[in-house]
Amino acid sequence: MKKTLIAGILAISSLAAHAEYQEVSLTVFGMDCAPCAHAIHVSMKGIQGVQTVDVNLNTGLVSIKLAPGNTAALRQFNEAVEKNGFTHKDANVVVRGTLSGTASAPFLEVSGTKDRFALAPIASGSNLTAVLGKTVIVTGTLPQAAKGKVPDSLRYKTITEAR
Amino acid sequence: MRYFLALACAFALARMALAADHGPVFSYATPVNSQGELSFDAGITGRYGSSGTQFSTGSGFGYGLTPHITLNAFLPATFGTGSYPESRIVSGSEWSAGASWRFLHSVTSVGRRTESTASLGVVVPGPQRDFGVLGSLHRAPGIAGTLATGLASRSQYLWVGGGYTRFAEASSDRRPDTVSWSGVYGYRPAKLRRGYDQWDYRGFAELTGEHTGDVRSGGAVLPNSSSTTVWLGPSVLAIFKDVAIEGGVQGPVFRDVSESVYGREKVRFAINFSYLKFSSHTNSH
Repeated sequence: MKKTLIAGILAISSLAAHAEYQEVSLTVFGMDCAPCAHAIHVSMKGIQGVQTVDVNLNTGLVSIKLAPGNTAALRQFNEAVEKNGFTHKDANVVVRGTLSGTASAPFLEVSGTKDRFALAPIASGSNLTAVLGKTVIVTGTLPQAAKGKVPDSLRYKTITEAR
Repeated sequence: MRYFLALACAFALARMALAADHGPVFSYATPVNSQGELSFDAGITGRYGSSGTQFSTGSGFGYGLTPHITLNAFLPATFGTGSYPESRIVSGSEWSAGASWRFLHSVTSVGRRTESTASLGVVVPGPQRDFGVLGSLHRAPGIAGTLATGLASRSQYLWVGGGYTRFAEASSDRRPDTVSWSGVYGYRPAKLRRGYDQWDYRGFAELTGEHTGDVRSGGAVLPNSSSTTVWLGPSVLAIFKDVAIEGGVQGPVFRDVSESVYGREKVRFAINFSYLKFSSHTNSH
């Protein structure tokens, strides 16, 4: 009984601390036709945790929604684009992670992946002291990185404590 | 084993830059398979003229080794009649294999890219003989190289390309060297620039040309056996997700062919079905 209780508490606490990408939107360059878009769709759907993929050929926008508890890493989304011979510009993300560092030099760590980003505000910065060390949900933009690389900073629009 | 591997690789090259799944049906174009993508083509091409109709049905396979290198193989079978000049635009009885390398690839805006693709491959005689003059020759393998460059966009396509095929000599016979070239313009009307979960259509105007050298038979050049032809015609490509159907027809706009050696070719046509199996695998976690 005690073991079950401990396991239950651990499971709940790990879920509460879980970090993951919730939404990723990429503008993909070079897709001219339906098979290009279908190839991107198939590649994205192959990433564990991806729930829905929407591809707009005329805008190049690829919108991905992910399941809670997924461990998908940004590198996988980049690879899915590059393996099909395309490139993408910035990526807009909604990501859940742990805020570390200091209020003046904060970092977002997406546990379950190796992704760690230095945070910089898109507009005026907010005081992050209250949420340091906590699990937060960040919306923002990951700038385009060199091929095969993941950007090391995230320009955030909003940071809210996860509930 | 090494021999068979080399042969298999070489095979993959011959039809390489010639259309199929993503492009025009007669002309050279630049698209290659995405990494891990397996493509299967099956089609029929025909040449109709004064000496009958020559058909070639073929199966083509492609595999995307990397995002820019594709291995290809094409195994046709021929039937019908007709004695027409050697052609690398319309497939004959040769089996071929090789690789295509998209060595220039510029994707800097939404829905548009410019690229160049080179292909190299081996052409070997298939189990069937050709018709007419070419059917009486001893056959030997050859090599084929092609180069295509152009742009693809949501509304327009433009590709130009060329190829050269040279055959080895067999028992003092040699099939003619072939230089071929093509230019193709494609257009997708605004109404058809739709979502990827609907049929995707585009039309092409395809201009192709070929010059074949002299046929050597028994060590001697067969008089008047070289030829030059230029062909023009429309084609249509329809794609739904991983299935493509395309067809086209061409008529001659220039013909310098001796009718004492070859039949008078009047029409070329082609229909091709493609199945594209995209890979969902990504390397990293």
